[in-house]
Amino acid sequence: MIALLLAGLLHHSFAMFDTTKAVTLVGTVTVFEWTNPHAYIELDVPGDAGAVKHWTIELGSPSILQQAGWKFKDLKFGDKVTAVVSPLKSGQAGALLSRITMPDGRVLTNGPVGRQ
Amino acid sequence: MKSIVIATSFVLLATTAAAQVDLTGVWAPYRGGRGADPKLAAPAATPLVLKPQYAGPFEAKRKADADAAAKGEPIASGAVACVPYGMPRMMQVALYPIEILPTQGQITIVTEAFSEVRRIYMNTPQLPMGDVPPGYYGRSVGKWEGDTLVVDTIGIKTTVPAYQNIPHSDQMRITERLRLVTKDILHDQITIDDPVVLEKPITYTLAYRRMPGYEMVEFVCDNNREYIDEKGGTHLRVRDR
Repeated sequence: MIALLLAGLLHHSFAMFDTTKAVTLVGTVTVFEWTNPHAYIELDVPGDAGAVKHWTIELGSPSILQQAGWKFKDLKFGDKVTAVVSPLKSGQAGALLSRITMPDGRVLTNGPVGRQ
Repeated sequence: MKSIVIATSFVLLATTAAAQVDLTGVWAPYRGGRGADPKLAAPAATPLVLKPQYAGPFEAKRKADADAAAKGEPIASGAVACVPYGMPRMMQVALYPIEILPTQGQITIVTEAFSEVRRIYMNTPQLPMGDVPPGYYGRSVGKWEGDTLVVDTIGIKTTVPAYQNIPHSDQMRITERLRLVTKDILHDQITIDDPVVLEKPITYTLAYRRMPGYEMVEFVCDNNREYIDEKGGTHLRVRDR
């Protein structure tokens, strides 16, 4: 289902990511780049024993995100978010965003869902 | 005298009919979906039948692409390297809108994905097939046939993949028939004819919905964190901090 949705949102294959998995990352935003061909969020995620893992999360492009209700100022350094992502199949700390709970409680997706 | 009057009236009527069709504005892909009127969705495409000498390699490439994707290293398309799509794929990329801009003697189409631009010269003869320098957009000429804008495009570089990434020769001709099916739903029926590669022409339709008031978003590919390895696989550049 996620795969089907993403196929309509991205301009190229997303097979780098394992869309059968949904990993929840709770962390702090260090970078939010509203750029083409993709926007990116970098996230510091505290793990066990105090270690912090730094994640690179790929989003759609500003055009697609805007259609899903995003704005370019929606995130900033230090924001606390919860992101549900499809991780890279390679095992590196990179992922494709599925949905995110913003600091103000809004839940945004990686593109418009259920729109014609 | 009477025949002149009738002929003039006919021309006026034809002109009036054409003038009522205004495609100006932004259009987004229309996917239909639950509750949508099936008449507005794009009709199914005709079968894709390649000549045997092209069908084998095409299927082999599809399989190689599927195998690489399963490994998580999809074979990169040009878009991964920020190379634009060109014709005909630029006419619908994911959910990105296109903007249609008619001016005197020309209709210009600007896409949001990769900011591609194509120009359709109206009521102008097409050049012979071999006289158009091969490129991403080739040369397009258009004319109104009643309520339908008919566009003829030739001169697409053979390295620019066509519909469903099929190969094509320098003999490919793209014929588009753009027509409003309602005030706010546009169909672009695209026929690809390539006597070298295809057993018979393929026809498929793209559907769009009008986006009143939409302001096109810029798309300059300046932050590409994806890269292509020496085998053509796609990877994401992951930062440590």
